[in-house]
Amino acid sequence: MEYKVEAHRIMSISLGKIYNSRVQRGGIKLHKNLLVSLVLRSARQVYLSDYYSGACLNAAQSEREWDITDTEREKFPPSTTECDRVESSEEPQKNERPEKEREYRENDDEVKSDQADCTSTLQQEQNQNSSQDSVAKVSSETLQETINEPKESPSDSALAELDSTPEANGESHQPPKTHVCSNRKRSAEESESGDSPQKKTKVASSNAKEGEEAEEMDTSNVSNLITIFGSSFSGLLSKDGAKPESEAEDSGQICCDQMLKNLNPWSTAIVAF
Amino acid sequence: CLSGIATVTKEGGGNDVQWCFSQVKGAIDDDVAEADIISTVEFNHSGELLATGDKGGRVVIFQQETENKSQPQCRSEYNVYSTFQSHEPEFDYLKSLEIEEKINKIRWLPQKNAAQFLLSTNDKTIKLWKISERDKRPEGYNLKEEDGRYRDAATITTLRVPVFRPMDLMVEASPRRVFANGHTYHINSISVNSDNETYLSADDLRINLWHLEITDRSFNVVDIKPANMEELTEVITAAEFHPHQCNTFVYSSSKGTIRLCDMRASALCDKHSKLFEEPEDPSNRSFFSEIISSISDVKFSHNGRYMMTRDYLSVKIWDLNMENRPVETYQVHEYLRSKLCSLYENDCIFDKFECCWNGNDSVVMTGSYNNFFRMLDRSQRRDVTLEASRESCKPRQVLKPRRVCAGGKRKKDEISVDSLDFNKKILHTAWHPQENIIAVATTNNLYIFQEKVN
Repeated sequence: MEYKVEAHRIMSISLGKIYNSRVQRGGIKLHKNLLVSLVLRSARQVYLSDYYSGACLNAAQSEREWDITDTEREKFPPSTTECDRVESSEEPQKNERPEKEREYRENDDEVKSDQADCTSTLQQEQNQNSSQDSVAKVSSETLQETINEPKESPSDSALAELDSTPEANGESHQPPKTHVCSNRKRSAEESESGDSPQKKTKVASSNAKEGEEAEEMDTSNVSNLITIFGSSFSGLLSKDGAKPESEAEDSGQICCDQMLKNLNPWSTAIVAF
Repeated sequence: CLSGIATVTKEGGGNDVQWCFSQVKGAIDDDVAEADIISTVEFNHSGELLATGDKGGRVVIFQQETENKSQPQCRSEYNVYSTFQSHEPEFDYLKSLEIEEKINKIRWLPQKNAAQFLLSTNDKTIKLWKISERDKRPEGYNLKEEDGRYRDAATITTLRVPVFRPMDLMVEASPRRVFANGHTYHINSISVNSDNETYLSADDLRINLWHLEITDRSFNVVDIKPANMEELTEVITAAEFHPHQCNTFVYSSSKGTIRLCDMRASALCDKHSKLFEEPEDPSNRSFFSEIISSISDVKFSHNGRYMMTRDYLSVKIWDLNMENRPVETYQVHEYLRSKLCSLYENDCIFDKFECCWNGNDSVVMTGSYNNFFRMLDRSQRRDVTLEASRESCKPRQVLKPRRVCAGGKRKKDEISVDSLDFNKKILHTAWHPQENIIAVATTNNLYIFQEKVN
């Protein structure tokens, strides 16, 4: 499980770098950001493959939850459903993890205190540990939830929360974000589907084996889940890496609003990790 | 044309060469001003001039003193010849982007007349500078006083013609051409063509061909920008023209590949003529494999038969006729392989080290951390690690080889990996085209070392 801790750490560091690159003098460096996003992708692969190796162990237990989530799928946007599955297969975490999460959260709070949208988002997350519309938020939230509420009944409590929050807060709260994120997810998925076979090979050999085994044992729904989860994240990643440059090209960076829109999913992603 | 180099080096090139301290330029202060950080070093084609560029956008040119033939042991020194501000910080209002004034690269043009010309570039704009000497001035104007004031017309009763009289040498640098707005992304390389009329400039995604006389137009020869930026997987990291074949150039990528392009084949060189790539060693796979395989520099050998690439941990020599693997691979600092995660955290893994050939292509040199630099002797299959430090600054002091202890018991005189100072990095080095004189840039100092003369 050291892989997981290591992967997690590398993901946090990578996200921090991408964020910092925005405020660096001389503009965003495409080369460095590309490399960082590649590392982030590799780390995420490892992190997720460890995730699903845990799924094998909890397979029997999780069947029930998966059935539930299948019906939920009809009701809610795909993003929330993914979370359910992800978290249901997640195994209990060490206690030191929440500390790290909180630390990063606090750090990021300071950094983004001047951005209204982000702050409200962060506060919301902190207060309710709830999920939002955006894919990244939901997925990151899930990880947070599972980490913070390990033993008892992660899926049940989280499910209940997910149940309530999208209706209560999500739709009304930040509709633009939903739109933005779902677009990203779609476009990312298209690029992702081509990429994923290649990506599989990139994972460290030991983890690759685990990932593959887990995948074989999982239902096809879960493998879809991986794709969706993976694509959404990398979509955000590549979008972010691309966005600054395309914006730079199209002179869109003048608009602060655009930057905020980009940053919001990032802020939550950073918060999560 | 470099085919007729007469080298002064001993037979065999780098064998048994002992390097001695010659000079160090720059402030002794440990507190380094960011503007003083050296960002590029380049000898001109004769080796008489040595140019450096820094983060503050300045260019400093050193000139080698003409050797005193009667005293051969008196080594020729490099002294400041000219200093000028090449680039200023700019702000792109349209994109809300600040453009750094840091000089990324300097390349000299072969000398055609009394004046010297060099190209200097920052992230966005390339400039052609003319460096000329003025050692006489006209005196005795008919209508003007010596200080320039016009004489009262009534007092002019004779006619005289001004004559040139000697004056103190003045070196002037003037911008002759400004090649702007050619690049959307950050320029990483410039390379003068052997035809001496054109040059290329490369940014992350595109390579442009310019004519030295024409500033309002450039020709795009390579464009690897994908239609959808989300599909971006690699960027261009360096590019260089072949030293003799004016139709050939190479460019390296962040994926560790080098593409050789022939401009005769097609106008757009998106399709390469040759692709140089070594298959990855699966046993070395890690999170950071992609980063460390990114090529930071590519340089043709002087004879045009080989090219050298530098990635984070190694230097590779490629035969232009063999694409599937390099002919030689040298480990620069293999002991860092286990430290990649820390180096990623502190951003050192993104450092772009350059490399260079000696005059007869027998030895290559590249920098490392802790102010170490490596000399890799191809003919002797030997390598040595030397250090540029203020401790070894006595005139003609011979540099002692350094050794890094990777693990286990540290021997006397060895330095352990954990004691290395990663803030002291040597990214830029240059080798005199004919003699065994090297210029090594630490953060803000330029060291000049010469071969020990007995």
